[in-house]
Amino acid sequence: MDATKTKIKEILVNDLKLQGVKAEEISDSEPLFGEGLGLDSLDAVELVVLIQKHFGVQIADMEEGRKAFASIEALAAYIFEHRA
Amino acid sequence: MGERKTVLVSGASRGIGAAIAVDLAAAGYDIWLNYHSATAAAQAVAERVVAHGGRCTLLPFDVADAAAAEAALLPLLAETVPYALVHNAGVTRDGVLALMPREDWDRVLAVHLDGFFILARMLTKLMLGRREGRIVAIGSIAAETGQAGQVNYAAAKAGLIGAVKALARELGRRNILVNVVSPGLIDTEMIAGLPLEKILPLIPLGRVGRVEEVSGVVRFLLSDAAGYLTGQVIGVNGGMHM
Repeated sequence: MDATKTKIKEILVNDLKLQGVKAEEISDSEPLFGEGLGLDSLDAVELVVLIQKHFGVQIADMEEGRKAFASIEALAAYIFEHRA
Repeated sequence: MGERKTVLVSGASRGIGAAIAVDLAAAGYDIWLNYHSATAAAQAVAERVVAHGGRCTLLPFDVADAAAAEAALLPLLAETVPYALVHNAGVTRDGVLALMPREDWDRVLAVHLDGFFILARMLTKLMLGRREGRIVAIGSIAAETGQAGQVNYAAAKAGLIGAVKALARELGRRNILVNVVSPGLIDTEMIAGLPLEKILPLIPLGRVGRVEEVSGVVRFLLSDAAGYLTGQVIGVNGGMHM
């Protein structure tokens, strides 16, 4: 679970190219969108693609996405649950 | 050019689409050549693409059929993310609106607009991560001026203009540029049978256009030189509409 969280943070920083954020500075509980990390709707689409690529987990729609992207913690749990 | 970039061109077996595929191959791109049913014509275009040093992947499917588009494209997209999409596929089913069969309305809107939705949705999802890309929709002067007998076609092409402008705003911050190239009367089989002697006086340049005069603008829109150009409708019509 911790490894998954770390991996997600690395993906956020490296693949989404978050400016001025280091992986180790991202907290497990802060919201990914809006306030918090400040990701936007295009980041959400990219994140869906990246999660599928790195973890083989499909986030079918934005309803699912809203739950999964609530925080690093929520996303790690979502990946854990849906992993084949 | 370093790594060769790939462009998906829809409706590229004939006319303007074929010229775009060949022109882009000459400019150094590999081509994913979509067509619906004209296999022999598409193979001839593919040979010209290869002769210009481009790789060409033939993709026969109906752009209005999402399942067919996914079956053809998803395996390719797992390996390659195209740099650009040129949505050129189009059909006409002309006739006065009062007598237009419902299927002629539906089909023309489906090829132009459903096709754009299906292809652009699939590609932009992956283009986002690249932080660069180009989308060009081929419009028509009929959308800008209106044309009797083409209510369906004009509506479909005008729909592309709205879609392109909205998408240009959506994707601008990811450096994906989205534009319309809007041809006037171009020398293809689509204008065969038109009364040119009546139409030519309306065109300041006094002649119909050549397909290369449209494909050259598409080629420019895919180039680095067009890096600050998005959300625009570029008329290629000999001055027929200004």
